[in-house]
Amino acid sequence: MNLHHRTTVSITHCTPVDADHPLAAAELARAAGDRVEWIWELVEAGVITPLAPAEPPAQWAFHGESLRWALEARRLQRDLDANLDATALIIDLQREIRRLRSLLGGDAAPR
Amino acid sequence: MEFKDYYSALDVAKTASDDEIRKSFRKLARKYHPDVSKEANAEARMRDLNEAYEVLRDKDKRAAYDALAERAASGRPHGHATAGAQDFQPPPGWDEGYTFHRSGGPSDETDFSDFFSSLFGEAQRRQAQSQQASARGEDQHAAIEIDIETAFRGGERRMELRALELDAQGHPRWVQRTLDVRIPPGVRPGQFIRLAGQGLPGHGGQPAGDLYLDVRIAPDPVWRVDGVDLYMTLPVTPTEAALGAELPLALPNGDVVEVSVPAGSRNGRKLRLRDRGFPGKTPGHLYLLLEIALPPADSDAARAAYEALAKASTGFDPRRHLSR
Repeated sequence: MNLHHRTTVSITHCTPVDADHPLAAAELARAAGDRVEWIWELVEAGVITPLAPAEPPAQWAFHGESLRWALEARRLQRDLDANLDATALIIDLQREIRRLRSLLGGDAAPR
Repeated sequence: MEFKDYYSALDVAKTASDDEIRKSFRKLARKYHPDVSKEANAEARMRDLNEAYEVLRDKDKRAAYDALAERAASGRPHGHATAGAQDFQPPPGWDEGYTFHRSGGPSDETDFSDFFSSLFGEAQRRQAQSQQASARGEDQHAAIEIDIETAFRGGERRMELRALELDAQGHPRWVQRTLDVRIPPGVRPGQFIRLAGQGLPGHGGQPAGDLYLDVRIAPDPVWRVDGVDLYMTLPVTPTEAALGAELPLALPNGDVVEVSVPAGSRNGRKLRLRDRGFPGKTPGHLYLLLEIALPPADSDAARAAYEALAKASTGFDPRRHLSR
């Protein structure tokens, strides 16, 4: 391979992933590189929450924050062989650390 | 291109067993986890670790890498450079006879070095293509750093990205891609921006994947970002703090608002401007921290004014709480 090939692409249309443009479960699974059944497992374990949890799973939609935690969950499971419950606990603790750092403010705040 | 020493990245010997490699990776992955690490370069170290582990955890990749390192170090004619040199190029056909599989997530490979991509990226892709005759391209992830004004107002941002493209014969090749991205206004830190069809190419006529950009806000000398809230230190004069004032303040979205500083404000007082943080369904707030700035006593008039203030406030003892 070499990187001498260069292309320039102008992107005129991009979509922020937010409550108006959520990700369907299948899209979230694809973006996190796993199966849609795994997304359902993450929901059941409380790692991520659909925007309307009362809806049937086929209609679930997710905020971008869910993508962030799904990517983190996947990393934990792959790198540390953490099972789902341990992954959920680690992610709960990460959220708590970030919340506390944010309360401290200043340099202690997360990026 | 720099020859990467994956063994030293994982802090293991070249003879390390799979178990030793796994243990060392896990130990270092904990050490450099962004939520735990105090090291300034934790993110870069984590990237190097992931890349090294991606190769050394896989029997075939490790064998191919070892063979290449040995070939490069011995300076055989096909190896164009020695290990460690900056201008390393893998010899043609170096990967024949090896089978590479991806184990990383879609977020990983765009972060990996040119060295990794040149050795394993394309080969993996070729094999994935031959195994899956028809499949949608995978999604990719990259970080994008924008300044705070662009986050509020939107704007154009140019970014360089390593990406796979199909050449005229349909073979995948890595290219340096320049993306001119139009950032929509009102983007929040940590939000993902989705660029449809800009991920990895599909196979068998299937569409390309999407590219997700993880938005980060560049550090700013005036504004500090915390989640969806904004913080700034607002300097005020003693007169403004004591008597109160209406002060104009330019916000990152271009608006200028009048800030009411209440009379009798102390240094460090926090004022909240509701819903003036990052926009959204639940907008953030803007917090102003008052910092009293003393006018210099560098003229007769200024000194006289300070002396007059002292005479007018003889009952004021800022150290009263220290006397027991």
